[in-house]
Amino acid sequence: MTTVGVAEPETPGRADHERERDPATASVFALAAFQARQLLLQIPVLVFGLLYLAYVGYGLFRRDEGMDAYPVLHDVDRSTQGGAELFAVALLVCAHRAALLDRRRGLEEQFGVLAMPPARRTLAHALSVVPCALGVALVVCLQFAWAALRPGAAGHGSVFELAVAPLAALLAGAVGVLLARVLPHPAAPLFLLLATGLVTSLLSDGLGTGGVDWLWPAVLENGGTPVPGELLGRPAGWHALYLLGFTVLAVCVAMWVAGSRARVLKAATAVALAAAVAGVAGQAPGDSAALQAARKAEADHPAKFQTCVERAGSRYCAYPDWTGWTVDWAGVVHRVRSEAGGDAATTRLTVRQRIEEITDLTTDATLPTSSAPGTVTVGTQWGGNRVPEFAVGVARVLVAGSEQASQEMCDARVVTTMWLALATDPTPAATFRHLRIDDSLTGSAAVLTPDGGSMSVSAHQTQVVRELLREPHDAVTARVKSHWQQLVSPHTTTADAARLLGVKVPKGPDDCPAG
Amino acid sequence: MNTTVSAAGLTVRYGGTPALDGVDLSLTDGVTGLLGPNGAGKTTLLKVLATAVPPDGGAFTVYGVDPATPAGRLAVRRMLGYLPQTPGFHPDFTAFEFVDYVAVLKELTGRGDRHREVRRVLDQVGLADVRGRRIKRLSGGMRQRVALAAALVGDPRFLVLDEPTVGLDPEQRMRFRELIAEAGEGRTVVLSTHQTEDVAMLCNRVIVLADGRVRFDGTPAGLTARAAGHVWSSTERAPGARAGWRTGTGTFRNVGDPPTGADLLEPTLEDGYLLVLDEKPTEGTEVTAA
Repeated sequence: MTTVGVAEPETPGRADHERERDPATASVFALAAFQARQLLLQIPVLVFGLLYLAYVGYGLFRRDEGMDAYPVLHDVDRSTQGGAELFAVALLVCAHRAALLDRRRGLEEQFGVLAMPPARRTLAHALSVVPCALGVALVVCLQFAWAALRPGAAGHGSVFELAVAPLAALLAGAVGVLLARVLPHPAAPLFLLLATGLVTSLLSDGLGTGGVDWLWPAVLENGGTPVPGELLGRPAGWHALYLLGFTVLAVCVAMWVAGSRARVLKAATAVALAAAVAGVAGQAPGDSAALQAARKAEADHPAKFQTCVERAGSRYCAYPDWTGWTVDWAGVVHRVRSEAGGDAATTRLTVRQRIEEITDLTTDATLPTSSAPGTVTVGTQWGGNRVPEFAVGVARVLVAGSEQASQEMCDARVVTTMWLALATDPTPAATFRHLRIDDSLTGSAAVLTPDGGSMSVSAHQTQVVRELLREPHDAVTARVKSHWQQLVSPHTTTADAARLLGVKVPKGPDDCPAG
Repeated sequence: MNTTVSAAGLTVRYGGTPALDGVDLSLTDGVTGLLGPNGAGKTTLLKVLATAVPPDGGAFTVYGVDPATPAGRLAVRRMLGYLPQTPGFHPDFTAFEFVDYVAVLKELTGRGDRHREVRRVLDQVGLADVRGRRIKRLSGGMRQRVALAAALVGDPRFLVLDEPTVGLDPEQRMRFRELIAEAGEGRTVVLSTHQTEDVAMLCNRVIVLADGRVRFDGTPAGLTARAAGHVWSSTERAPGARAGWRTGTGTFRNVGDPPTGADLLEPTLEDGYLLVLDEKPTEGTEVTAA
């Protein structure tokens, strides 16, 4: 239509630099920043964010001298995925709520005439989760760095595993915003979570958990004994691609529903869909034949894959990720051997790190004992109780000659073994208790060994060991060394050992007579 | 004066019922009052001008920009301030947060400049002292001022206000009139109202709308002048009067065609409005310009 004398006054009030900037893009970031501040003030986000931080903080700052002191970084990386799930759910709920807020307050028409179109508002809502995701990334980096900087850290982390928790936060936000566009009801997140749980349960029944586990954001696979990084077989890269693709796809669909038909959106949707599908396909196949063969080979023939070093007359063989621990192993060997007498004090040992053949990362099986003379098994965990368990492993080989031979022990050699393992321990009585499966200090019990198995200690042997631990250390050591041959003989009974070592002889029938 | 907003043949139908029936407009800078009875189409016209509702027929431009295309609509929205009849709020936001949120949606992106602008409009509407207070804790009048601040933020050229003084007490209404008069300096303001006093005090122009059609388009003085010689006083209600009511003095004030020798009174804008509404429009020539 034609107008006459149309006025074209200057736009007042807006700075020139603001008009020069692309308002469409800049306004998305401005709204995202505004919504991010609002999101951070939402009670569920605050509460679950603080709970997440408390959970991580507890893990970092607890005074734990156990195996956490020697973290395996290719297990630590995926452990960072734990704890953020509830925070992600809170983000989903709050992002959904924020994206619905104008509608719930009847502001859609009022705000519908403002310059920023709904699709860009949708994008801004999705981006408002980014600071939270960056916060999660920061926490994850802190968790990992905390572990990696420990002197006993072994292995290498995966950036893809570390990316999962932040990506899960982004995905949760994107799904929340998408839900707000396709199902604008306050209870939609609850419906989604219930439906997801139901579908997962049904699929798990039909396909087994392995079929659907990787469709969840976090896949922890906890509980197994660490294995070399190359044997993990986790499709972490594909999974990260799946999460990223799914996140972008959710945002694109939400923007599409909000009315955008921009070409760049169509292109982004296609790329995101391709990435999500590729991610699903890539993570789906499970363990390859090559991986299974590698797991078997490294379990059955560890020497082919290990690096060995000589330390003080003994040989220490470790998988490449763990070579740094050989110094600690050598320290224990030296400590135990210093208490031994006869040839044992100078016997050349081979400390061999071993793993079991795993079928998945939750496997925690017992290794078969080694029959090789002078060979001591050590596992892939260190610190805490693993140290005295290894000491027991070293001692039983020094006493019996081999791990397999030590399984026959039910005589004075058990007492000798336990003395060697505990004699130089700073808290021998407590360690003795922790070594026993039932945490007892009386009666018979099984004592843990580094192959994941155990060694039986009778009630009389327990009593004698406890008596020895009450005696002056140097006096007992001297007696052990002077009676070494008798103490490592299968014909010496527990009572004989008590007499030889000058402690009270247990009364009653020996429940483990010499064979 | 230059035309800033121009419309021709604007038509909107709800179902088969015309809410706007070929409305032509030509607005200039200053405050234009939109008067009309309930159902006249005032709110629909404002929604069309605010690009909230697309017209079924006709077209309009704002500062030369046609909002029929997406790009044109965006350009119009970038120079628009809109206060709807029943403004909504986020009650948990503070006044500052709410206006800041609207400012972001208006694409004021630089945080520092935006916050200065938000403070400016809150100061302008007299809410500087309560800008940190949550909206749910503000009075109705204060909320209305928050809504006006939201409309004013970004200093829009074209301001559409739908019954902004409804529900306000006289003092608040006076305050609002000051604000709107100030806002009308240098920009185009369209103000829908039932209050003829608002129009008389604020507007340099008035449009009377009835049944979706423009019945009058001119100055308030022109509308008042329409009633000259049509308002008289009598001791009883005049039977031929189009409207009549007892005044505080006990006499009747009548509007219509006075009898010969009637005691004529000085007309008001309301008298003119009543007369215009009561006139039967003649097809094609119903608009009275003054």
